Amino acid sequence: MARVRVKGPQDLGAAIVFIVIGIAGLVFGQDLAFGSSAKMGPGYFPTILSGLILALGTGLLIYSFIVDGPPIETVQVRPIALIVISILVFGYLLELLGLVVTAFLMTLVAAHARRKVNLRENIYLGIGLSVFSVLIFVRGLSQPLPVWWWAQ
Amino acid sequence: MDINIIHNLATGFSAALSLQNLWFALVGCMLGTLIGVLPGIGPIPTIAMLLPVTFGLDPLSSLIMLAGIYYGAQYGGSTTSILVNMPGEASSIVTTLDGHPMAKQGRAGAALSVAALGSFFAGCVGTIFIAAFGPVLAGLAQEFNSPDYFSLMVLGLVMAVVLAHGSVVKAIGMVLIGLLLGLVGTDVNSGVTRYTFGISEIWDGIDFLPLVIGLFGIVEVIRNLEQHDEHRVPISTKIRDLWPSKKDFQQSWPAVLRGTALGSVLGILPGGGAVLASFASYTMEKKIAKDPSRFGKGAIEGVAGPESANNAAAQTSFIPLLTLGLPSNAIMAIMMGAMIIHGIQPGSAVMTKHPELFWGMVASMWIGNAMLVIINLPMVGIWVKLLAVPYRLLYPAILLFCVIGVYSTNNSSAQLALTAAFTVFGYILIRFECEPAPLVLGFVLGPIMEENLRRALVFSRGDPMIFIQRPISATLLVLTIALIILAVIPQIRRTRDVAFQE
Repeated sequence: MARVRVKGPQDLGAAIVFIVIGIAGLVFGQDLAFGSSAKMGPGYFPTILSGLILALGTGLLIYSFIVDGPPIETVQVRPIALIVISILVFGYLLELLGLVVTAFLMTLVAAHARRKVNLRENIYLGIGLSVFSVLIFVRGLSQPLPVWWWAQ
Repeated sequence: MDINIIHNLATGFSAALSLQNLWFALVGCMLGTLIGVLPGIGPIPTIAMLLPVTFGLDPLSSLIMLAGIYYGAQYGGSTTSILVNMPGEASSIVTTLDGHPMAKQGRAGAALSVAALGSFFAGCVGTIFIAAFGPVLAGLAQEFNSPDYFSLMVLGLVMAVVLAHGSVVKAIGMVLIGLLLGLVGTDVNSGVTRYTFGISEIWDGIDFLPLVIGLFGIVEVIRNLEQHDEHRVPISTKIRDLWPSKKDFQQSWPAVLRGTALGSVLGILPGGGAVLASFASYTMEKKIAKDPSRFGKGAIEGVAGPESANNAAAQTSFIPLLTLGLPSNAIMAIMMGAMIIHGIQPGSAVMTKHPELFWGMVASMWIGNAMLVIINLPMVGIWVKLLAVPYRLLYPAILLFCVIGVYSTNNSSAQLALTAAFTVFGYILIRFECEPAPLVLGFVLGPIMEENLRRALVFSRGDPMIFIQRPISATLLVLTIALIILAVIPQIRRTRDVAFQE
């Protein structure tokens, strides 16, 4: 038996994404009424779309074993992990601590997405950005953001 | 008819020339130039980020500002391409090929001014294009019914997929996933919630901003962080003679004309827009040149053509959105989102119901282009200085502005969690070479497409033949099929790939 080998890793990856989304669309959409063509239910269009995505993903899966493609670039964990954490830091601390402190903390977390971190420089940057964001967004553009933790 | 256009333009100018609107045009152009100059942040996240800020403005002012950011970025992107060999914008990548060699030869001033003046000319022509063709297309759109709209969107999405670079199959997948994501939330027809998993924040559907900021803005930051630090050394030669020599002028004006014509046409096509136009124009200039070997070594046509083309396309890509309600690229999808937020349904009705809005925008584009020449030419030194700001200081600021923008839409932490989720999703897509732009088009069109499909099928009592029986719909579907056939013919695909590799 000939060995089956992945030839297009990027295509395989995309195929898996499509298949997962297609199946999720069908499974989580199965309770939605399909209706009929003349009287489309809430499940009609989503089911068709999910089916198409699944079919496309399956096609791409087969393709990835036949046609050569470029390899997947290495994933660097540090940038994506710290950037995502910094977004969540902002999202969950803003209402507790206010913009001044949160912007400062977020800058410090985000700065660690790079390898060489100059802490002193980032403290200055954090202070600068926190003042700047209050001036621009709260004073200048009057966005309803809490400035300090005692604001609410 | 002609008198009408003049009358309409007069209405537009009187609206656009108000002090407030001039101010927002200036702010938009300045911001656009800024992001055009700075690598690592493009017009898509910037416009998305500023959306919440414009909620409080009147619709015309906010659209003027957002549009200014878009075409401002086309101007600004050329500056760094020429002086530093670093395109700030995807649509300025080809400008580095000949613009930077020109700068090395001490002709930076000529390259900059040809780019700016070519862009200005193209912008003016693009504006006239909108004024002339807008009403014609809008008139045509009045004849459209649900089946026709559905077929139009199919054609638009297929065209966007075919003209986008990369794999066609993956792009179709992205469109379909976008359509599906667009359906998340409460179904307007039945009141049933779909795919919300009990999360109350997405009962009204997934918000536009977390999706766009996550997929474009933050993923872009992460990609930049994964690359090594680049040294950005501006060309040290003084930008003395901004005015091009007579020879430069003679060589560049035909290229400007060709670039403008090509860009205007490619801008209207869905999936076209500024990036495709600049690449196509460069390829064309190289093909028709008497001595193609000059290209890559400082041929002024290689700057004049693409720079004119990208700006013309940036203008005319507004046509399908303002007349048919069809966004032709991701940026137009965001503009569509902005219009809907302001309670304006994009489409042929914009021109009849809100003439001051349509013509005000057209007029503001001309004003904005004039402003941009001034912002870019005499002030070029200031913009280049900005490049001295290292990326390690820049990206935390970009991130912070992105999250503040997302939070401001409805002051909820859940939006930030959603942004984080789309960041991870976008990162996965990029690793598998899936472009997220078609997804955004699908996302915006999802609910509209479903509604038109439903109406069409209710009308025909479930008979899908209605899409072939109506002449407009049938024509659009025939075009769609023709396009698909063209796309799968390898010959065509090869030339398409070549155009993007140049």
